[in-house]
Amino acid sequence: MTEPVWGRVVATERKPNTAHEFHFWTSVDSPIGIGTIVRVDAETPVSGQLPRVFGVVVEGFSYTDLQTPIHDVLGHDGTPGGASLAATQRTEIRLYTAHVLRQIPEEPLQPVPMGAVVLASDADVAVALRMDAYLQPGAHTGIPVGLYRAGVMEAPIYLDADFLLGPEAAHLNITGVSGLATKTSAVEWLLASIFAHFPQQKGSVAAVCFNVKGPDLLFLDHAGEIGDADRAMYARLGVAPEPFQNVQYFAPYTAKGFTLNTLRSNDQLSHNLTPLTWGLNEVMQFAEVLLNRDDVDAKADALIDFLQERVINREFRDPVLSSPHRVRSFGELEAFFRDLLRGLEERGGEGWRTHHVATIRKVRNRLSNISTRCAGLVTDEGTVSDLPFGSFQDRAVYVVDVASVEEDAQDLIFARVVSKLREHLERRDLGVSHVVVFVDELNKYAPGDGPDTYVRKMLLDISERGRYLGLVLFSAQQFRSQVHRRVVGNSGTSLFGRMDMDELATPGYAVLSAATRTKLATLEKGQLMVRHPHFAQPVFVRFPRPAVLRGRDGAERYPQAGEITLDVAVMRSLRKLDPAVSLDWVKRVIEGHEEADVLRARNATVQARPERVQSHFESQFRRIVPAEPAARPVAVPIKSLPGDDPYGF
Amino acid sequence: MAPSGDATFHAVQRRLAALLPANNWLASARPLELASLGAQDAPRLIAAAVLEGGVLRSHRITGAPVPRFAAFLDGTQSSRAVAHADEVPIVHGVAACVVRRRVARRMHTWRSPLVERRIYAPLAMLSPPWRNALASADIPVVDTLAARTLEFPHPFALQDAAVHAVQEDREALERELAEAWCQAGHGEGEGELLVDGSISGSDAVAMAPGVVGVIKSHRTLYAEGDALRTVLRLGRGERSSVFRITSSKRTPVASWYLRLREPAGHAPLWGLVRVEVADLPSATPAELASRADEVSRWVLAEALPLAVPDARWDTMVYGIRDCEEFLRAIQ
Repeated sequence: MTEPVWGRVVATERKPNTAHEFHFWTSVDSPIGIGTIVRVDAETPVSGQLPRVFGVVVEGFSYTDLQTPIHDVLGHDGTPGGASLAATQRTEIRLYTAHVLRQIPEEPLQPVPMGAVVLASDADVAVALRMDAYLQPGAHTGIPVGLYRAGVMEAPIYLDADFLLGPEAAHLNITGVSGLATKTSAVEWLLASIFAHFPQQKGSVAAVCFNVKGPDLLFLDHAGEIGDADRAMYARLGVAPEPFQNVQYFAPYTAKGFTLNTLRSNDQLSHNLTPLTWGLNEVMQFAEVLLNRDDVDAKADALIDFLQERVINREFRDPVLSSPHRVRSFGELEAFFRDLLRGLEERGGEGWRTHHVATIRKVRNRLSNISTRCAGLVTDEGTVSDLPFGSFQDRAVYVVDVASVEEDAQDLIFARVVSKLREHLERRDLGVSHVVVFVDELNKYAPGDGPDTYVRKMLLDISERGRYLGLVLFSAQQFRSQVHRRVVGNSGTSLFGRMDMDELATPGYAVLSAATRTKLATLEKGQLMVRHPHFAQPVFVRFPRPAVLRGRDGAERYPQAGEITLDVAVMRSLRKLDPAVSLDWVKRVIEGHEEADVLRARNATVQARPERVQSHFESQFRRIVPAEPAARPVAVPIKSLPGDDPYGF
Repeated sequence: MAPSGDATFHAVQRRLAALLPANNWLASARPLELASLGAQDAPRLIAAAVLEGGVLRSHRITGAPVPRFAAFLDGTQSSRAVAHADEVPIVHGVAACVVRRRVARRMHTWRSPLVERRIYAPLAMLSPPWRNALASADIPVVDTLAARTLEFPHPFALQDAAVHAVQEDREALERELAEAWCQAGHGEGEGELLVDGSISGSDAVAMAPGVVGVIKSHRTLYAEGDALRTVLRLGRGERSSVFRITSSKRTPVASWYLRLREPAGHAPLWGLVRVEVADLPSATPAELASRADEVSRWVLAEALPLAVPDARWDTMVYGIRDCEEFLRAIQ
């Protein structure tokens, strides 16, 4: 069957065709529009071969043979309604400009010849976008990103896994306005697509997602409602329309410490929700994240280094100290500082090991403050509950909920998790060979201007070197222009959802035609513009609605647990380890103990995950000796009379 | 003889240059139609027999315009001097004609357009090498003096002869295509044809009930005295009485003047067209009047859209402009 010819290439002296751009006209009822991929079949062979040119429409013009609008006004006596009375419609043109995606043969590279224009078929789209190079049987590394549609034509668009997850290129960045750009949905869909299509021979892959706002990513393991059209797209793209099978959630405690600080705190969903708590060891390495330049000058930095190298996690002796110290927690660190400062006061010294007492006081103040600022995440007693570094599972999603956490704690979580991922990937002992890290609100974490924070430096490092390790950054933001250029510049793949016109007016989008920018500003939900290293020009795709429960729906279906009492919080925590734990038992065990001690005992039990949960929990408490009345001591005179005092009374 | 190869201006010029290398060839000649001032173009008045009543007067067209025409026919011509052979112009002429059919308010080409390219030259005035070269140029050659004589061998007269020869060829093409339309069975009520210009050149066309000629130029006005004043004072949407146009070389047709646009502030002939239809001898004056009103409504319906930017947009209907643009595009 011959393909319908929808247009013809045209070129004039004023508007000539080049090797990278050409023009064509179509009938007024053609299905061609901005973003449509077309094929030009030349009529004159070059070197014995009829050239074929593939292009994507980037601009469109429409006009009639009118010289000035006033002629139309005159022609209708100034009555617009009279237009329909005209017996003949004016000759009208649809003139399009297309950017060349690919020419075959590629040499000699010539201006686009005259010829018929047809809609690109499935096979044409694959050739036009150079997808044929990575869709070969046996060497298929394509990851479906969506469907390209034009008229009745529909073609899957694939990203190259080697250029999405490394090692050739890596990283993905998605831009768009809040609410309409479907940034989160796009990432959820793409993760499902990666999990379904990432080739086994390329290794394993997992995802770590930071939930930075609301309940966006908190119900990835629950099925959402999708329509027939979406199901058809799933089928076309070869992805099962189902939620993620293996999802683990992590969240720190609230400052009070009773419950986890997440919207996903409903009791029905606690089976895969794990506390995220760190102690001194975990935090000290990233103290820089929490301490700004005002906090830490060179002198303070030297003292912190000394503490890390000589004091923490080892027995430390010093003549100034009243006893040896082994610092393993913030509590023990505070005891160390207290002892040190007391010793210095007693000796009247102004310095200790080249560190001035004022510096010591300042560092003590700042470090001790960390557990307060990051309460719920950082524990005084050093209890650690962490992501399963070393035993990550293939096709698993690890969601770290930091949405309700203070900004400092967010930075700390982000910095430490990503650094640990990097460390393990460097050692090849993470459990998987590739990790996708999804970070939303990149404007905040890697801004183009502002202070050079630890988190931004780390993001830069990932974006520039992560691809060699399999550490892949999927990032999203509302304003790409406000993100550090090297972070977005190193993203091999870029997705664009509905865009803000102000953002589109920034220089970064000058390479796009006015029509493409307009289309970006009016994209529907579920539509994206895709830039990928293999694609010579951006293409527009549709992707199906993620098959997971939307955050808002999940929050309604599984309401957040209300404020609970200490005994209930302990029972819930321990029940995950031992279903036999009862509220009465908990009440009985914790009766008379301080709240801090109860929480410490709970955290220690959760961390240890012992076989005998109840006895382990009970053993965490010191025995409480019943109170006994103290014997009144015999009063002793301040001064007793000497026995031989002749003047005594 | 139809040319076997490319018969465009430059192709013919290249072929002739190969045969006559020493001559000066014109690089970008102007169309001769712009400079041609033929003798028959002189303005004149001719009295015509009025068929509708005894005196030519104005009639207001009542009722709304009705877009009835199914197709439009027009021809174009272009003449340019390829070279001058010893001061004698060798003219490359193109005559073309097309019927553009209106379907769902959009224009489409009916069958194939007719295009003829020829060389026009006074062969008797050419040297043997030029005559030989023209004979070998693989393009039909028309002797412009075969059917006419010139009083003086003025260069303009030679050019005019060529232009008139091209015009005759163009009119022949128009007749051929109009006859083909009529023979194809497009009778009255099945799709009327609006022809740009007179329909009296062909018996078949002039007598076809579904063919209407619309004449825009008025070098010849078919009215004198009061009748002329009546014609020139027609208001918008008014027509003159029907009269008959006869000629020894042409088929008689019924005709009337019709004002398409408001003439206030314009020259007397502005927006004025003359309409030709078949002259049915058996028709009563009332039938003629009814027919004239009906066809006038059809023509008035073509006043929109305007045929701008053509300078003749006041009298040219859009379908005819479309024909001309089409022919310009394919040449």
